[in-house]
This record gives sequence, structure tokens and C-alpha cells, in this order.
Amino acid sequence: MRHLAFAFALFSFVRMAAGQEQETSRENQPTPALKPVTWERLLNAANEPENWLMYSGTLDSQRFSRLDQVDKQNVSNLELKWAYQIPEIDRAETVPIVVDGVMFITESPSNVVAVDASTGRPYWRYDHELPDDLRICCGRNNRGVAILGETLFMSTLDAHIVAIDARSGSLKWNTETADHRAGYSKTAAPMVVKDLVITGIAGGEYGIRGFLDAYHADSGERAWRLNTIPGPDHPDNRTWAGDSWRTGGAATWITGAYDPDLDLIYWGTGNPGPDWNGEVRMGDNLYSDSALAVNADSGELEWYFQFTPWDVHDWDAIQVPILADLELNGEMRKVMMWANRNAFYYTLDRETGEFLVGTPYAKQTWAEGLDEKGRPIRRAGKLPTPEGNVVSPSIGGGTNWWSAAYSPRTELYYVNAYDGEQEFFIREQEYREGEQFTGGGAQNVKPGDTYKSAIRALDPRTGDLRWEFEIKPRSTSGLLATAGDLVFGGTVDGYFFALDAATGEELWHIGVGARVHSAPLTYSVNGEQLITVAAGNVVFTFGLD
Amino acid sequence: MYRNLLLGLLMGIAGQAEAQKNPFDTRIDVRMGQRVFRAECGRCHGRDAKGNDETGAPDLTTGSFSAASTEAKLFEVVRDGIPGTTMIGIGWAPDETIWQVVAYIDSLNLNPDDVDLPGSADQGQKLYNGKGNCTSCHMLGGSGGRLGPDLSTVGNRRDPDELKEDLLEPNETVLPRWWTMRITRADGSVTEGLRMNEDTFTLRIMDKEENLWHFSKSQIRSSKRTETSTMPSASETLTMSEVDDLVAYLFSLRKES
Repeated sequence: MRHLAFAFALFSFVRMAAGQEQETSRENQPTPALKPVTWERLLNAANEPENWLMYSGTLDSQRFSRLDQVDKQNVSNLELKWAYQIPEIDRAETVPIVVDGVMFITESPSNVVAVDASTGRPYWRYDHELPDDLRICCGRNNRGVAILGETLFMSTLDAHIVAIDARSGSLKWNTETADHRAGYSKTAAPMVVKDLVITGIAGGEYGIRGFLDAYHADSGERAWRLNTIPGPDHPDNRTWAGDSWRTGGAATWITGAYDPDLDLIYWGTGNPGPDWNGEVRMGDNLYSDSALAVNADSGELEWYFQFTPWDVHDWDAIQVPILADLELNGEMRKVMMWANRNAFYYTLDRETGEFLVGTPYAKQTWAEGLDEKGRPIRRAGKLPTPEGNVVSPSIGGGTNWWSAAYSPRTELYYVNAYDGEQEFFIREQEYREGEQFTGGGAQNVKPGDTYKSAIRALDPRTGDLRWEFEIKPRSTSGLLATAGDLVFGGTVDGYFFALDAATGEELWHIGVGARVHSAPLTYSVNGEQLITVAAGNVVFTFGLD
Repeated sequence: MYRNLLLGLLMGIAGQAEAQKNPFDTRIDVRMGQRVFRAECGRCHGRDAKGNDETGAPDLTTGSFSAASTEAKLFEVVRDGIPGTTMIGIGWAPDETIWQVVAYIDSLNLNPDDVDLPGSADQGQKLYNGKGNCTSCHMLGGSGGRLGPDLSTVGNRRDPDELKEDLLEPNETVLPRWWTMRITRADGSVTEGLRMNEDTFTLRIMDKEENLWHFSKSQIRSSKRTETSTMPSASETLTMSEVDDLVAYLFSLRKES
């Protein structure tokens, strides 16, 4: 019997190989080959722009590609090359990665599919089995995978991290990171640093205690955990009244960045909990709403910068940090650029966390400004009240988790900004494990069309606005910058567009029929530059005609 | 075996819910349901349950739900969510809590019997078709004009106080669909109309003659937006007693689920 099975398998293999050969000769192109993605390749991802090897493209998270085949002159010739329909109808937030002609797309709720990057046709899929008692605040989303060697790493909604064989889709290991019944979940793409898989946690609306984890890529065993709310043995624990630190949130639900020279991981943290009732957690609530710099080997916190101490508006610092070296006041500085949900833009020194630049980039009414250390100077009368209090920005913020981008060619930072407002409420609420723990809420004051949404280009040396491209009704997409001097983005009503990176002039747009709620990426196959974006539950890929 | 037994039990419970009327619908239950709703559902549906453009969550105050036509079905949706959509359930909560959420959602939809209306719906209907001149702009039951919102189910969307405010202070709440756009073409000619839809690159309007126009923003000289209503205040044409009659008529246009 085993012989028979072997013979059949051999026959199938020969048939498959013959088929491939026929296909290859017909299209006169080599068959895509997935080569192992070493740490060296990830370190130098910018040097192989034909691939998109991680969530933000490169470890500095600039979302900048050196590909320049599509440029200002020819971008208007972009046309659809293929589309892939995600079977589960939801709002795709995936940023696929592309490795040597194979694209890995994550799907709602916690699945992944491998497709040929030139046609969108599938190789395999992995469907993750989920329990039916998930606690998730904001949709059944997954934002992407990481890769090392021939293994993919994916977060799942039941707060597991799984390792999947990149050639076959087989599960290699499956590690529970926290108890999903207590409100923990995972949606963000992990990030590989050396031989570790760095991964955050979601659940800031459920009174979790946030953390950042590292797992050994080969075994799935945890290497370290950094609690984003320090325990009672640490002096910063005193920034939480009483026992409020136990349920203080500070989740880590978006992907970070890494500087190999400093060996530091940078990661943002979310809102303190309960979101809108700060009276039960008086203090700065460290390290919620902060940028953390973490030693990659030990997981120890090297420094932090808190954007919004004692946040009572749900303004998570869940943005992707962008790293670059910039000349500031005649001196080269290793900086981190960050447009925060609280409507202020920051440039920080990423060696020390020193505050260098800070200025509003979107409408805000809650602060007079920032002091010399970057701490906000609060305006009186802007806290949530039982009757409701109108404040800008809205819960969604001046921006949200939507990836910003940076072009070293224009030296501009591109962010999707929103000048909204909402009415914020406070209420008393008891913590009960597994239930939402928000202590209030917010509601709209006027129709969304009333407010301004725009892609804004900021000078990271000053925070000054260089240009803006207004969007109606609004955008919730991430951005991509390319060496063709283009910035790509999308809108909630289903446009995908390209702007001139230097001026903001619109150069191309196409209707994709549904909300762009992810970030675009670019890669090339057989010398042809392609641009991919998810809209609705479809992944579209465009190229030149 | 155990699994089949469990499945049978679960189906039995679901079956009970199907046949059941809400056993937890007292005022206390509504209050409890409101607390749970605001904590668990408010993030997407809004603290006031009126929906949210950004999340795509619908308005739950109209008494009409696309995925639930009965209380029992609403219970299932709150418990299980709607598969294949972003709507997730709170199945981890006890049945009592889920019923309380259902009671709260039900309470958002006014019971006409509980509403004291000073006006006469019959008189209001006559005013609607006559002196009020409503039919020239509003569609009702498939007939009427197109220059204002279709009022066939307005009684579900607006309560009597809101209807009165709509009539007397039409500029207080003007949805973007009823803003006016004045378009100047490249050749200087002008077309003005109601803003049916506007996006980053294009816009579509309906002019006074109910013609549909599509414009590419790159091909026009300018566009000007007015966010006030094209409807005159009823205070200019009707007495307050007639306004009450019209409110009574419009509120009577409710479609009960």
C-alpha cells in the first residue's frame, strides 16, 4: 500500500513538474523560487526592493522602496494586473509580504494564503482554528506575517503566535501568549530580530496588562517579556493609583521598528484602561501611550517617551515608528519620526529618547502645546464628562495605526491626517475579566463629511507642513513612498491613488470599490514593478501596461 | 457522543430563544442593557447607537434591522454576531445579559402608544398634500418629488420632537446628502444642485429640474458648498397647530417591525 502511495505521489510530482515546464516555456519566465530569508537578508531588505520582506518593508519602517520603474511620468499608465478575493468577508487590513515571487496574504480572521506574486494564484492556505469565545474590540483582523528562513510567523485572534512552513502552509508550532478569555488578542504582524520573533498584544479595551514578547523562531519558546506596565517592585508603578496598574491596558497592537547599530527595538503602546475614566487611575500611567526602546537580546527597557500622560481620550501611541538619520541644527542625529494619535508630530533622538521637535499636524483642542521636554501642556475643560465634552481630535485621532511613510529622497514624512472632533463621555465601571472596560465613550457631533481629511507631508526637522492633499470624505489607509518619487494611498470610499512626493499633486487614481484600510506595498517580478493594496476584502495588484 | 450531546443541547437552547419573547425587558433590564451596550457595542455602533461611518456599524435606533426581524433573532445576532461581517457577538455573556441588551436596543425605538401627540395625523396628511407643499420635494410611498429626503419611513428615523425641529429649524440638522453644490465649469457656465455624492476626485449633483450631473473635479473651474437646507421653515407657511398636525402625520408613517 505504501508503495502504491509512493508511486502515485511520484507520478503526481512528475506530472506537476511537466506542467510547470510547459507553463514556463509558454510564458518564457523562470518559476518563482522561494529562497530562505536569512537575518542578513532582513537586515539588508532595502537592497532587494524586488521583495517586500516585512510589514513595513525594512527594519527602519520607512515604507520606502527603491523601485523607480513606476515614476511621475508613467504612473498614469498603471493598470490592474490581478485581484485576489479573500473568502471571509470583512475589512482587510493585511499588508502582504513578498519573497522571491511568492506573496503571503493574511486574511480575516487569522488565516494566511500563499499566492504567486505575478498572478495572484494560490499555492496553499493555512486556516487557523479559533475558539468561539473571542474578545475582540474592533473587528476580526490580521495585518500580516513575518518571515525568517522558510518559516512565517503570524498573530492570531485567540492570542496565539503560530509558525507556518512557508513552502507548504503546514503548522510548525503554536504558542499561546495569553488567555483570550481575559480579553487578550493579537492582530499585528510580528517582527523578526535576529533569531527572535517580536510580537505585541491587543486588548486595551478589556483591562489587560500589556506586554511585548520575544519568541525563539525555531521552537516558539518565549525568550523574554517586557510588561508595558511595570510591577510594584518598579518605581514607575507609582504612576498608577492603587491597583489600577493591574488592568491598565497599554497594549502593543501594531508593529515596531529596529535599529541594528543600537540593537534597539522601538515599539508603541496603547491607551491606559479604562479608556475614558482616568479618575480611577490617577497618575501618568507609565508606559501607556509611549514609544519604548527595548534591548533586543534581553527585552529590557532602555528608555521611553510618553506622548500622552494620563490619557483620557483613547489616543493610543500605536503608530509605526519611522527611523532615519537626519541633519538637525548642523548635526547628524539618529531620529525617530512619529505622528501621534493625539494630533502632535514628534521627532525624537532614538539613541536617548530626547525630544527634538514637536508640533500639531492635525486639529487639536486639548493642549496648549508641548513643553521643552515634549510633555503636553493640557488645556482646562477638555476632559470627558458625564454630559459629554467636545474635543479634537476624535477617538480615531489625528492619525491612527495607519502606516506613515518617509522618503529619503524628499526627506519628507507622509501621514494620513484627520481634523475631526467627538463628544467624550465618562462613566463609572467595574472591572470584570473578559468584559470591555472602557469607562465611557464618545459620539459624533456632526456628519463625517464636515471634517477635513488629508495626506500631509511634514518636514521632520521642524514639523512644518510642506503640502497636503485633501480627501473627501476621508482616508483610513497607510501610505507607501517610492524612489519613483510617488506616494500611494487610498480612501474610505474606494479610491487608490498616487501623489507626487515633492508637491502632493495627484497623478493617478482608480476606483477599487471599497475602503482601503491597509497600506500599499511594491515589489517586482521578472523586472516588472508591481504595486499591491488591499481594499474591501480584495487584494489588488497594479503594474504598467 | 459527548460532542453530539452538547450540540443538541446548544441547538435546544437556540430553539428556545427562537420561540421566546424577551424575558428580561423591565426598566431595570433596559438600564442594565444600556450599560453593557455602551461597554461592548458602543465602540462601533456609537455610544448613542446611531451608527458610525468609520466603522460601518449601522444605526440601531430605527427599530428596523437588516439581520433581525424578531426579538429572538436580535438575541442571536447580539450573541453570535453576523458571520462573514465585522459584527461580532458577546456569546461569552450569560443569556440574561444578552436579553438585556436586546431590551435596550428595543427601547431605542419609540412605542407609538407611549407618545402623546397634540396634532391630528389626518389633518397633517391633508396639509402634507396641500398647503404644506411637501410633495413637490419629498417622495412618499413612491410618489412625490426628489429634492428632499424620502419620507416613507421617516417616523422610524425621527421622533416627534426631532420632526418638529426638522420642520421649524431645517438648518439645524442637514445631512451631507442635502447640502447644495454650485459648480462652475471651465467655460464659466454654472450648475447648482443637491450634493448626491462627493469624493476626492468627482462629485454628483441633482439640479432643480431633477437632472443628474457628474463632474470631474479636475475639469471644473470651482465648486462651492452650502451646508444649509433648501427647505423653508414651516413657521413661514404653517401655524404651530398645523405643524403639530404635520408631525403627527409624519410620525404615523412608521413601519412597525
